[in-house]
Amino acid sequence: MTTPQTSAATQYVYGIIRADASVPDDLTGLDDQPVSVVAHGPCAALVSELAQQRPLGERADLLAHQRVLDVFVSAGVDILPFRFGAALGSRDAVEKELLAENGERLSQVLDRLKRRQEVRVKGTYVQEAILREIVAEEPEVAELNERVRNVPEDASDAVYYDRVRLGELVAQSVKRRRDEEGARLLESLAPAAAAVAAHAPVREEDVIDASFLVDRAKLADFQRAVDALAGEHQGRVTLRLVGPLPPYSFVPEE
Amino acid sequence: MTGPIAQQTSGGTPTRAGGGSSSLADVVDLILEKGLVIDLYARVSLVGIEILTVDVRIVVASVDTYLRFAAACNRLDIAHDGTSQGLPQFVGGMQESGAKKKTRGALEGARERLEETFAPSDDEDDEKKKQPARRRSSKKNEEDDE
Repeated sequence: MTTPQTSAATQYVYGIIRADASVPDDLTGLDDQPVSVVAHGPCAALVSELAQQRPLGERADLLAHQRVLDVFVSAGVDILPFRFGAALGSRDAVEKELLAENGERLSQVLDRLKRRQEVRVKGTYVQEAILREIVAEEPEVAELNERVRNVPEDASDAVYYDRVRLGELVAQSVKRRRDEEGARLLESLAPAAAAVAAHAPVREEDVIDASFLVDRAKLADFQRAVDALAGEHQGRVTLRLVGPLPPYSFVPEE
Repeated sequence: MTGPIAQQTSGGTPTRAGGGSSSLADVVDLILEKGLVIDLYARVSLVGIEILTVDVRIVVASVDTYLRFAAACNRLDIAHDGTSQGLPQFVGGMQESGAKKKTRGALEGARERLEETFAPSDDEDDEKKKQPARRRSSKKNEEDDE
């Protein structure tokens, strides 16, 4: 733990841990500033000094935020992550305004997430496999595909709308498949987790994107469950496991 | 979780990006959109800091997407019917790799752009470090500039 800095400096806040949790001495955060602890009652905030008027959001800033929280996740220390960009005017404000006024509330959330971590599962279709499937199963797609691809390149403008229609049909079909299959994948993993938070898929071929709150002691089980699922869907859906992460998706939003 | 676990060591194993090694692209939306919101816990001494916004959500439902889907579908059949070689894999050989790169996937496109925003992974070199996270990912020519 580092010695307290000037109390009036702006403090970037990474997250909340229990007041008795241990913090590595040489931990640094944004701008390589030393990360220190402000404790009050049952909870403590992890903070570092921040230069005023400094716009945040560079890649290095995001990485620093994540890195600080990761240290605790890796050490198996319960931590409540703040969303990127939390800053208070001084250490005094962190203690009084954040910790003294919300100590009990934060402590309850920590208890609820005790010994649990977030694991994110992302699944994407193997493009060729899913497209083949769609062409094989949907006559209209197959027919359009045939028509469009037999047109020589220099005349391809003539079938522009056919191409758009073909792509639209394919996109719709991918979406239908993903909605149904994504729900099934989610269901099959849910029993291995204490809670689930589904994220809106970003790309068309995303089948599942969900965070699972998993007991640390059951992480290996959860990974095996994902492994098994990945085996079942091999060649068609690629599953990736991200984490363990701080429980970003499982802290109260209000 | 029921039944024996099929040990498929090749390909079936999910890729793991764990803890410190998880790529930023895999967690950036969580960092920016999830987690405790400080405003709910403190108000008086909040410091207003300018957050450079990052486009994590890429909306791709557009004609452009449809055309890429169509192109991907077209290529699929060519590979499938391959007049001389019946094997789709064979067509994926050298000659194709150029075209593949260009058009491959309605789907790959968006991800590549997102990754570009944060690439190269976590052990970034110094020049990349200085680049703001705000990179409008929707512009095609940015890709070409890189």
